[in-house]
Amino acid sequence: MAILCIKGSRSETFIEDFQLPIEDLKSKIQGVIWLSFLSVLLTAASRLCAQEKTVAIKAGEILTVSGAPIKAGIILIRNGKITDIGTEIAVPQDASVIDASDSVVMPGLVDAGALPPVRGDLNEQSGEITAALRISTALDPKSKVLKRIVQTGCTTLYIAPGGANLIAGLGVIIKPVGKTAAEMVIKDDAALKIVMGSDSTQGNRIPWFEPPTNFYYRRPTTTMAVALMLRKSFFDARQYIASHEKEDPDMEVVAAALQGKIPIRVAVRRAIDIRTALRIANEYGLSLILDECTEGYKVAEEIAKKNAPVVLGPFYYYPRTSSQYDEGREVSWNNAGILAKAGVRVAIASNAQEGPRLAATQDESIDLLTAAAFAVRHGMAPAEALKSITLTPAEILGVADRVGSLEKGKDADILILSGNPLAATSRIKRVILNGQTVFQD
Amino acid sequence: MRFRSCAAFVCVTLIVCMVGALGYAAPVRKKLAIKAGKIITIAGPEIQDGVILVEDGIIKAVDKNVEIPWDAEVIEAKDRVVMPGFVLAHTSNGLDAPNENVPEVPFLSTFDSIDPVNPFFEDSLRDGVVAMLVLPGNNTLLGGTGTVVKPYGRTVEAMLIKRYTGLKISLAPPVQQTLRYTDGGYSYQATGNISRMGHMQRFRRYMAELKDYLEQYEQRKKDAKEQEKPFDEEIDARKQPMIDLLNGKLAAFIYCGIAADVPKAIEIQETHNFNTALVLGTDGYKAADLISKKKMPVILDPQLVVWETNQQTNAEEMKVAPAIFYKAGVKFAFQTDTSEYGRRYLWYQAATAVRYGVDRAEALKSITLYPAQFIGIDNRFGSIESGKEASLIFLTGDPLDAQTWVDKVMIGGEIVYEKAKDLRLKKLLEKPKPEEGQQTSQDKNTD
Repeated sequence: MAILCIKGSRSETFIEDFQLPIEDLKSKIQGVIWLSFLSVLLTAASRLCAQEKTVAIKAGEILTVSGAPIKAGIILIRNGKITDIGTEIAVPQDASVIDASDSVVMPGLVDAGALPPVRGDLNEQSGEITAALRISTALDPKSKVLKRIVQTGCTTLYIAPGGANLIAGLGVIIKPVGKTAAEMVIKDDAALKIVMGSDSTQGNRIPWFEPPTNFYYRRPTTTMAVALMLRKSFFDARQYIASHEKEDPDMEVVAAALQGKIPIRVAVRRAIDIRTALRIANEYGLSLILDECTEGYKVAEEIAKKNAPVVLGPFYYYPRTSSQYDEGREVSWNNAGILAKAGVRVAIASNAQEGPRLAATQDESIDLLTAAAFAVRHGMAPAEALKSITLTPAEILGVADRVGSLEKGKDADILILSGNPLAATSRIKRVILNGQTVFQD
Repeated sequence: MRFRSCAAFVCVTLIVCMVGALGYAAPVRKKLAIKAGKIITIAGPEIQDGVILVEDGIIKAVDKNVEIPWDAEVIEAKDRVVMPGFVLAHTSNGLDAPNENVPEVPFLSTFDSIDPVNPFFEDSLRDGVVAMLVLPGNNTLLGGTGTVVKPYGRTVEAMLIKRYTGLKISLAPPVQQTLRYTDGGYSYQATGNISRMGHMQRFRRYMAELKDYLEQYEQRKKDAKEQEKPFDEEIDARKQPMIDLLNGKLAAFIYCGIAADVPKAIEIQETHNFNTALVLGTDGYKAADLISKKKMPVILDPQLVVWETNQQTNAEEMKVAPAIFYKAGVKFAFQTDTSEYGRRYLWYQAATAVRYGVDRAEALKSITLYPAQFIGIDNRFGSIESGKEASLIFLTGDPLDAQTWVDKVMIGGEIVYEKAKDLRLKKLLEKPKPEEGQQTSQDKNTD
């Protein structure tokens, strides 16, 4: 305090030297300080008020997904959570009401394999086993992709590193709104991504006419080596757990996956690769989540028997990209329907990851509602299809306690649509994320 | 006896010949009566529980109460929605290669390149298309003339609806370095100029030379007449399509890869007075106002929804081309993309338009009547009216519903597609039979 006074007196004398109207300045400074203090108080208060205020959605129809649809229902939201849902609910007097009485309300979509909102390449080229890579370290909150994804109704996303490495790295579950990456993340280290089939061998070379120190001389180069290296990785992880001689970040992650602490997601397209994945899982006692699964319809019973959930996508009639062309030519339009009928838990995702030679853009992949509508067209049950873009992916990702359906206590991630979500003529009118409107048509 | 048997033989032969001749001269007119649950005529209001009378493949009457002739074959379609088959105004699919690798080839015709066994035609029929204009691709300045075909028939002659329809002009410089497979292996093809400056200049030079040629030709004709010499010089066949474009016998389908190409297309239309339809790229909606002033027909890119960054707010905005053109009062038609889920279908393109605010009737016209008008076959296709061809589709529900299937396709009064008999579709939708022995051996391995 004393120092402050001295400093003050000094400055006063200093100012007096220049003969400035000191009293005037003093009052001005005081005024500014008071004003800023007040404004801080006010904003804090208003934020508190806004948080406390209840929002009520009056819906024509509520598709809760977890239960039966509710006609003419009301949803109450407070602090970003659903506080009540049903038909006979008293709306608080001070609640701000969103009138959606001519609309259909459903939970925000969960994309279990979204296009990563990151800048730069997604495929680390310095190695094939890059288990400790975290996509969360590359998240770009200002990405255009996020702003687009929100408008297509997705409120929860799983994103993963690119599909060129055998053990590609760790994925993250995010909500597509936030100023910083940390604000967006729901669950980091959400799953370990493994890529089988030809994607993890593409671009790898064997030494040929060049010095063997070349950066690109990497294994695996064959499907056989993919299986071998995968087995070896889990074998090494087993040894690592037993001995634990020196710290290894990659082994740490593979060991955690082996012990079931981190879910394992394997990207597989062909039936033989699906079978190999299930066999290795059997050998090491792993529980897998199967991604893409283009030929899943051929081995639906085997997948169901292993109780492995499936995240389908991307969807196409004819292959567009080289890796699809190499591996995914034998498509069944009704892949989702056949798998679901066999008792497999099916999630429909855009799965627009960048492969080694594939540069997927948001424009090229269809949105989840369209994918679900076509799944129904090709033979899936409508209720099942609706689940496959909301609750089922949330369950597979392990965040069904927060998102995926409209229930009391869950996050207020809500879509308001002009009609049946599976109709080609219905449009998203409003997207609510954590109780806040993030898109309005 | 011999004479009598001879006479009898002659008589019998005569009668046989006469019956044959009668049958030939006056074939039995094939009459059809389609009893439909709902008829979307496009030309007028929708009819509930109506009847379409067809005679020799031509629609004779369509109404709620039509007297069905006693000799008509009745097609019961009480649970079906019947509407005119879809018309695709522009495609470069179904060709062995869409473009020649030199820029000025207006004398080429897609007729020579159409491959009837290309799966594109099979898919189109399955998806309800009954007529399409196959034009050269977007990689040549003057690409050649188009052919209107139905997606049904074993030869291009059998598929043919109309030859020599439309000439493709591309204002986008050819995409350089496209890797193409030729007999000698893979090679990069380079076709013409790489900049829009050079590309437009090439077009202007071509037109100037063409005008010179025509003037000189007329002069030679005049000279010959004055000198009273016979004049037997024919017009250069390689220039004929461009001359037909100038005198209005052909329509120009001008591809504008970017919105900035649209003013150039308008300049061409104004200078040479071409009968013009615009084939737009994804950002063509930016030129909607310009196009609406000129009242030009527009064929939209298969990708209808485009994201654009607003430079002021930095927000990502969804731009929907059909909605923008609808507001600007421009008539449009759609293109398709067979590899993609939504864009593959004309009905889905129309449904997308309706989703973002286009009037339903207008959207339905843009997949039937408007494309038929654009490619000059609206006297036969595009709506259900007396006098038009019975090229109809039988749908299981509303055309814009994603759960509706094309159940039957009728082209010219003949059923050419039935979903129940579509084995390929069955294979794509049904679970495959388990491969013999595989299941057991696999189980042995895994468990």
